[in-house]
Amino acid sequence: MNKNLTRRQLLSMVGAAGGATAVYNTSLALGLMSDAGAPARLDLQHVPKGGARIIVLGAGIAGLTVAYELERVGYDVQIIEASKRVGGRNLTVRHGDVIDEMGHQQVCRFDDHPEMYFNAGPARIPGHHRRVMHYCKSLNVPLQVKANFSRPAYTHDTENFAGKPVRVQQYVADARGFLSELLYKAIDQNRFDEPLSADDRERLMHFASTFGDLQPDGSYKGSLRGGYDEGGFLSPAVQRAPLEFRALLNSSWWERGMLSAENPDWAAPLMEVVGGMDNIVKAFVRELKTRVILNAQVQDIRLKSDGVDVVYNHNGKRRKLSADYCFNSIPSHFMPAIPNNLPPDYQAGLAAMVPGNFFKIGLQMKKRFWEDEGIYGGATSTNQKINTIWYPSHGIHGEKGVLLGAYAFFGQCKFFERMNPAERLQFAADCGDKIHKNYSSYIEAGVSVPWGRMNHMMGCGTTWSEEVRNEYFALLQQPAGGRHYMIGDQISYHSSWQEGAFASAEYALLDFNRRVRADATRQGVR
Amino acid sequence: MPGKLTRLQWMLVLVGVLGTASALAKDPVVPSDELVFCTVCHGVQLMGNPIIRAPRLSGLSSWYVEKQLHAFQDGWRGVHEADLVGMEMQPMAAALTDEQIKLAAQFVAATDSPMPERTLAGDPSAGQALYATCSACHGNQAQGNEALGSPALAGLNDWYLREQLEKFMSGARGSHPADTTGQQMRAAMQVLGDETAIDDVVAYIATLGH
Ligand SMILES: Cc1cc2nc3c(=O)[nH]c(=O)nc-3n(C[C@H](O)[C@H](O)[C@H](O)COP(=O)(O)OP(=O)(O)OC[C@H]3O[C@@H](n4cnc5c(N)ncnc54)[C@H](O)[C@@H]3O)c2cc1C
Ligand code: HEC
Ligand code: HEC
Repeated sequence: MNKNLTRRQLLSMVGAAGGATAVYNTSLALGLMSDAGAPARLDLQHVPKGGARIIVLGAGIAGLTVAYELERVGYDVQIIEASKRVGGRNLTVRHGDVIDEMGHQQVCRFDDHPEMYFNAGPARIPGHHRRVMHYCKSLNVPLQVKANFSRPAYTHDTENFAGKPVRVQQYVADARGFLSELLYKAIDQNRFDEPLSADDRERLMHFASTFGDLQPDGSYKGSLRGGYDEGGFLSPAVQRAPLEFRALLNSSWWERGMLSAENPDWAAPLMEVVGGMDNIVKAFVRELKTRVILNAQVQDIRLKSDGVDVVYNHNGKRRKLSADYCFNSIPSHFMPAIPNNLPPDYQAGLAAMVPGNFFKIGLQMKKRFWEDEGIYGGATSTNQKINTIWYPSHGIHGEKGVLLGAYAFFGQCKFFERMNPAERLQFAADCGDKIHKNYSSYIEAGVSVPWGRMNHMMGCGTTWSEEVRNEYFALLQQPAGGRHYMIGDQISYHSSWQEGAFASAEYALLDFNRRVRADATRQGVR
Repeated sequence: MPGKLTRLQWMLVLVGVLGTASALAKDPVVPSDELVFCTVCHGVQLMGNPIIRAPRLSGLSSWYVEKQLHAFQDGWRGVHEADLVGMEMQPMAAALTDEQIKLAAQFVAATDSPMPERTLAGDPSAGQALYATCSACHGNQAQGNEALGSPALAGLNDWYLREQLEKFMSGARGSHPADTTGQQMRAAMQVLGDETAIDDVVAYIATLGH
């Protein structure tokens, strides 16, 4: 037999060690399967002008995508949007913008300057989100690299390392060093169930020592990977003394964030839209012939055998629109309180979905003090409730910058929601002071965006439980009565990612197209 | 807290809503721009949204709504540390002017929506006996009594009724020294010994006003 492993042999080994997911990922890596995220060629059926009418509910990424694609092939599309702006959760905040938080409307007081913006919703795009990339490319939305995981940034833990921030590079180098030392010693003492040949042992010890930058005797004494204490240019580099092993073990960051960039969605390099994420929304609006009907909250959805009627409020009146098909991106948690006659199991599915939640604070800093500390973009992580300080990747060496001063998830958000905006900013400022000297003195203006309290939104996407997913997901992907599609990142396996919104739109469009073609064939119209 | 509804319960609730949707006494109201946000939580025509735990408001009298909005605003209601759901409403009322409170109360009173369906278990006949005390203030059809400051209870969601009774019981509502009507209601809670009594009386109230 050939000495080299065949691909199949390799896959079965990977499968034994890591299960189906590992096989899948390895298959992708070997190029045996196409990435499920590759944009399908839509190839939608063109229709004569004045053909079928389409209503789209909600002007977020999913709704805009459906409207754009269907308009291009000749459909007459109307978009009904409850809020006063287009874009939904794709929100970039700039000078003078109103943050439509129910109970606490805020006006953004950032400088009127093109670099002073804050992505209050989506901020990062990984390269494997092929649909986002496809639309950015085809709609001419320029991208740039965005730093996320950053080695010169800090990890901070009020309970460890005397509450002082530690450079990420040091933490990571030391964590690996300690782990490798243990591994090295275990190999040395032959602590494995399976007997290792002398060759294997030597190789493994070499691996451990390389992985952790160990001393020749297999001990870890710190590493230059952790950064220099001084020198390195005109005098010899002095490496930092390693952290105390126990403090590292007790600290929480290895659990909270050290491995975050291992997640493909957060793996470097990430991308961002030049000038603000909402340039994606602006590009769609530029391409669309139809004007989004704003301030138009849906009141009623009636499925008929040959179409869908939608009632909405606009300019003080109730209005009705009839269409052949409806694409609905309204957050699922609103649907039980919008009268409709969708099938009972479909409604039950929508009601069983549980909304997710995010919270962000953006702070305009009068000085880019982090650059003086050698930090250019990326994130500092802390065990304080703000979780993260995220330095802007754009506007480097400018005078000022807008950074993210807090980013809370799911259950953590209520803590901030229950404060008023001034209290939230004060809280974030106090947390920042524990990490950066004089942090609060640099703050010129701030905004807080609690998605759980945002008008017409009240959350972010869906946290599908396995049980609810199994029972309802496939059902909700199908059009009710062949006429009413649910869309949005909520109807995807990537909720809270734009890619999920694009994917849901694509799925609905492809299904719609199959039906339209089948109908045409049946009627003999080719 | 009431547990999550099972799929079957959901289907029953939703089918029930559909069945009655067309038979409303009043025409739908279009809220003014400044009050649209009330419907984001409380639903179209304030029909209530169990996911947001915002109750059906249609059917409440304007005097009571006005009073509650002030109670939220003045920190009598929705500020107790155990009242996490009340805290969701409190800042909404806090942001309103007196004029907006009046308009909001009129808006609520003008709306109509299908009567909520039962979502909780409980024995209505046991509840009927317990309700005898309540009716002195809330009326025998739970229609409310303005002179006594007692609101209508018919037409409120059963899960909301239960949560309020639990709050009166624990003191999360009706404890503020200035909240005299809340204190009266707290005192009336003595009739309801335990959770079962609460469930039963709620089950009975849910049969009224149809
Ligand atoms: C804080 C935060 C961080 C995020 N980070 C990222 C990221 O880094 N990268 C990334 O790719 N994605 C990220 N996302 C996710 C991304 O924003 C969403 O996946 C995407 O924008 C969802 O688009 P959508 O069209 O599905 O839904 P939405 O944008 O929610 O659109 C729904 C629309 O329906 C409207 N609507 C609601 N009620 C009604 C009604 N009754 N009648 C009519 N219209 C109504 C709403 O106003 C809204 O415009 C983030 C989101 C948040 C909040
Ligand atoms: C963010 C969601 C939200 C918004 C917006 C909201 N409410 Fe509420 N509201 C609630 C919740 C949740 C409760 C239940 C509080 C409780 O359990 O004590 C509630 C309770 C109430 C009550 C008390 C009902 C009773 O029977 O005592 C009134 C009245 C009310 N809301 C009116 C309004 C009005 C008017 C508006 C708009 C100005 C509004 N709400 C906006 C969530 C909201
Ligand atoms: C002494 C008169 C009195 C009696 C007896 C009484 N109540 Fe009340 N109840 C009130 C008043 C007054 C309020 C309004 C409290 C406020 O202003 O916040 C109230 C409020 C309530 C509420 C809250 C309604 C809402 O919309 O939030 C419920 C539920 C309720 N009562 C149920 C009962 C039940 C059940 C009983 C019998 C066990 C009962 N009450 C007995 C006076 C009374």
